[in-house]
Amino acid sequence: MSTKIAFTTNKGGLDDKIAERLGRAQTFTVVEVDDEGNVLSVEIVENPGARAASGAGIRAVQKLVDMKVDIVVGPNPGPNAYMALQQANIKLYVLPGLTVKDALDKILIEL
Amino acid sequence: MSSSDLIEIVIASGKGGVGKSTIAASLAIILRNSGYRVTAIDADAEAPNLHLVLGIDRWDRVIEYHEGRIGSIRDDKCIYCGYCYDSCAFNAVEEKDGKYIINPWICEGCFTCSFVCPVKAISFKYNVLAGHIRIAYKTPYKFPLVSSKIKPGRPNSGKLVTEAKNLGRSISGGKGVIIVDAAAGIGCQVIASLAGSHMAILVAEPTPASFSDLRRIHKITKHFGIPSALIVNKYDLNKVFVQEIMRYAEKENIELLGLLPYDHAVPRSMAINKPVIYAYPNSSVVKSIIETSNKLLAILRNWENWKLKHIPEKIEPFIPIIIKPGS
Repeated sequence: MSTKIAFTTNKGGLDDKIAERLGRAQTFTVVEVDDEGNVLSVEIVENPGARAASGAGIRAVQKLVDMKVDIVVGPNPGPNAYMALQQANIKLYVLPGLTVKDALDKILIEL
Repeated sequence: MSSSDLIEIVIASGKGGVGKSTIAASLAIILRNSGYRVTAIDADAEAPNLHLVLGIDRWDRVIEYHEGRIGSIRDDKCIYCGYCYDSCAFNAVEEKDGKYIINPWICEGCFTCSFVCPVKAISFKYNVLAGHIRIAYKTPYKFPLVSSKIKPGRPNSGKLVTEAKNLGRSISGGKGVIIVDAAAGIGCQVIASLAGSHMAILVAEPTPASFSDLRRIHKITKHFGIPSALIVNKYDLNKVFVQEIMRYAEKENIELLGLLPYDHAVPRSMAINKPVIYAYPNSSVVKSIIETSNKLLAILRNWENWKLKHIPEKIEPFIPIIIKPGS
């Protein structure tokens, strides 16, 4: 079993910081880890919410659902994104301002 | 960049006409005069008027903002079947002199007509000019102003506000204070104004309508985990009702920054496009604005502590409404 964790980022990658926006983050850095906490893959995907005039939160979460993400790490989401995350059963960790790497370490301890 | 290098303060109210722009302009001027690096952003793209309150009438840079799409029917391919006319949910397809045309003011760009068109006669123009972002780098107040402006008829856009905010942040160089004058309401633009900001100054007047809207906007600031402060404007119009608003603020851990009296100096200064603190420096409202600003300055000096004390505890849980068929 592996877990997919999406980090809200702008440039993307392990060294980028967690973005201050969820729906309008430029990218998601998606990290797949196995049960022992080993990183299996790191992928940077574009967030369609960043380009949307409105409905950014919903579009962003739709993308996360399509990618079968289990956990999202970001800032406090907007009302629509929050509702969608709850309904899609995606766990949310609010850790703004950290780098992806540091946030990942924190989460792996909790898992 | 740590958050204390740059503090983004959003002035929001839910209800319109309570004094957001007047307060935003006054706070920006006073913070700048107190030595802070200030960047002002007008995030009310539908009705931008912070520049009018500040009396700014020329821009150093105007950036076009493009987005959305509009359909059009190619006359050489159209077979006049009328399927597009029948299917458009917005009635944007019109019949004129036996031809079908799409009214660009009504078209939402939903693609329904192009799905039903049997001969693929409908094409879409993308990235339509939808608004502008205007920048005044040099103003008499020694701070830059970024103003977003949506084209009439184009949909309300959180993306435009986000781009104006991003521009303002880069102009600020990641330092000082950003004052964001948000739109009324709690919609997409206001969400975009609040998301990622560090402090909300909520403005209310002592009326039930304003109080109701205050609670609605406060739900959003709590949602984003943004610490909030409150200014009650025109408080002397109903001193009894002010007590009710203050009780709410206390219960919800919203710091009361100040009470501003109703004063004709405000509309008079607006009529001459001059900030009230320069037009009527001895008026009672300006005295209260200065007291209010002093309280804000004290918060900024003690920012990390204040933030920790006033950050909302947790997001309000969302309770989905499930409607079962037949019930």
